[in-house]
Amino acid sequence: MNFGNKLLYSTSSTALNFIIADNIITPLAYGTENNLQAVLAGQSSLHKYDNRFTPAAPFCASMFNDITCIDGYTCFESQCIKAIQGLEPKFEESILSSSDTIFIISTTKGNIDKLQDILHNEQPEYYQNLNLNTSARKIAAFFGNAAPPIVVSNACISGVCAIITAQRLLETKRYRNAIVVGADMLSLFIVSGFQSFKALSPQPCRPFDAARTGLNLGEAAAAFCITSDNKYSNKSLGTIVAASIHNDANHISGPSRTGEGSYLCLKDVLPNNKTDIAFLNVHGTATAYNDEMEAIAICRAGLQDVPINALKGYYGHTLGAAGLLETIISLHALRQGLILPTKGYNEQGTTNQINISNQLRHTDKQQFVKLLSGFGGCNAAIRIITTKEQESGKHQKNTTPNISVEGNIDITPDNVVLNNKEIHVTAHGEQMLTELYRSHINDYPKFFKMDTLSRLGFIASELLLQSAKNKNIRPDKDCAVIFANASSCIKNDTDYQRTISDAKNYYPSPALFVYTLPNIVTGEIAIRNKYYGETSFYILEKEEQLTPIVKAAMANSNIHEALVGWLECKTADNFEAHLKLIKKNEYE
Amino acid sequence: MNNELLKQQIIEALNLEDLTPEDINDDAPLFGEGLGLDSIDALELFMLLDKQYGIKLQNKEEGKQVFRSVNTMAEYIEQHRTK
Repeated sequence: MNFGNKLLYSTSSTALNFIIADNIITPLAYGTENNLQAVLAGQSSLHKYDNRFTPAAPFCASMFNDITCIDGYTCFESQCIKAIQGLEPKFEESILSSSDTIFIISTTKGNIDKLQDILHNEQPEYYQNLNLNTSARKIAAFFGNAAPPIVVSNACISGVCAIITAQRLLETKRYRNAIVVGADMLSLFIVSGFQSFKALSPQPCRPFDAARTGLNLGEAAAAFCITSDNKYSNKSLGTIVAASIHNDANHISGPSRTGEGSYLCLKDVLPNNKTDIAFLNVHGTATAYNDEMEAIAICRAGLQDVPINALKGYYGHTLGAAGLLETIISLHALRQGLILPTKGYNEQGTTNQINISNQLRHTDKQQFVKLLSGFGGCNAAIRIITTKEQESGKHQKNTTPNISVEGNIDITPDNVVLNNKEIHVTAHGEQMLTELYRSHINDYPKFFKMDTLSRLGFIASELLLQSAKNKNIRPDKDCAVIFANASSCIKNDTDYQRTISDAKNYYPSPALFVYTLPNIVTGEIAIRNKYYGETSFYILEKEEQLTPIVKAAMANSNIHEALVGWLECKTADNFEAHLKLIKKNEYE
Repeated sequence: MNNELLKQQIIEALNLEDLTPEDINDDAPLFGEGLGLDSIDALELFMLLDKQYGIKLQNKEEGKQVFRSVNTMAEYIEQHRTK
């Protein structure tokens, strides 16, 4: 990755963005307005499934009854395409195919249902079916867009991260328009994993309620079109005015007891006057720990009196679609002056009292905040305004950052080069990573619990940070970890799939399942170094695609230092890491 | 119930690479300070009981009681194992 000494662009003012069209496809309804009406009617698509994914135990979820897949496309791809096709209100079709338009796809596991076929029949075309870059290309190409798309895979906050990535790339004028789409389909892989975490409720979930017993999973696809083209300012449905991503630096699956990351996100995105917020739409998964953590973060941010709602009681947790789906529904509710009821909620079940209700409420305010958190300790928030007048954004920067590279490391199965100097190793592949752990670190037994991708990232980051100790690198709330690769978690996905493939030997491993999210490695590094800054993971075709994403992140956030780069692991003997430690030096 | 065998199974299931059965006291708490185990380790112990001994614990609360120490685990296995 080449950062040079200066940014390629020299914008001193940031561009405004306008959400001009959106769409939601759920088992409840097709189209945003139909979904909003269904929610207002109190409907829920949560049902019990007894034998849907045997040998998984019965579960309660929101699932499409029958999906018609487009010929030549997987179900996941088809749902993304349908979500984009149905974007309303209609806009000039040339936006879709324009070279000024970037497609950003949000998903946690994409085509993971295809992995079973690969294990049964190791044909290269099956790997193609699984690969998220292939899917992203097919989706963009369906609409005549030839630019390499971006896939955001940041666990349950992916949807909001995709929105933030779009907003940043527009603000830095790298692109003029973005099509953001999020989707996930349920499968034995996902259901068994959440069951192994004992996170699923056998009943429809009850966010923030005293009797809540866990979450429900859900299928959905949601999309929107966002532009910085001023000619659309009159058609704007809403504008993203603030965005933030922070890590808890606490645990890869357990929410922080202090709500650290969510609190930092809220603090970043709140307006000067908190009472300007109509409502805060939260994650509200209805697990004991998530809702408790969010209530703590809400109170710490001083939002105990602001109306709160959560939508999981209607749709379940729709994973990679959740951030988009919940943002779009919230946006359209607010445009009608409505604060949607929290279905399933009855009696406050968190230690901290928050302003939540199962009744429809009304508001004349014009902005809301969307909050999410996810595995890997990541949290994200955005604030959206529906009016045309823009406030003077507190996050709009008046300076253009200069980014300096403070160190770099390259690791392949036989070779380690730190700051252009080779480190002597004798072992090969995964054993070489263990050798480096023993010779250079040796004080962090959690290393042995990590999957190979995380071990690779951990070793690379440790060596890099050790070498930079004297360079005034300050770990804190604005240190970020931003990685990308082309194959997501293919090695660990395969290891996990083996624990569920044989019905007679069906023992889904929670420790393997958690590492099937590629962003877990960013969480591991955040925990180790107490980095409370942004942690993000992208699936890209090529390493160079990450550079503009990182530059846009550095230009439009508080991040002042970051570990960034390419982290790929296909097998125990086939991996590569190319990481850099970068620093932002602001100047006028 | 052979405590040494159980300790070996725990070490393998939880990837406690730097530990040997001798490092784990029969009565010492498994969670908290002791071995530094976390919530994912607890979930893996549920899986270990199911896989090795055919025991399906119902909920996390039950797990907390059973997983207090190697001794409490061994006792529970002795009484409830189906294989």
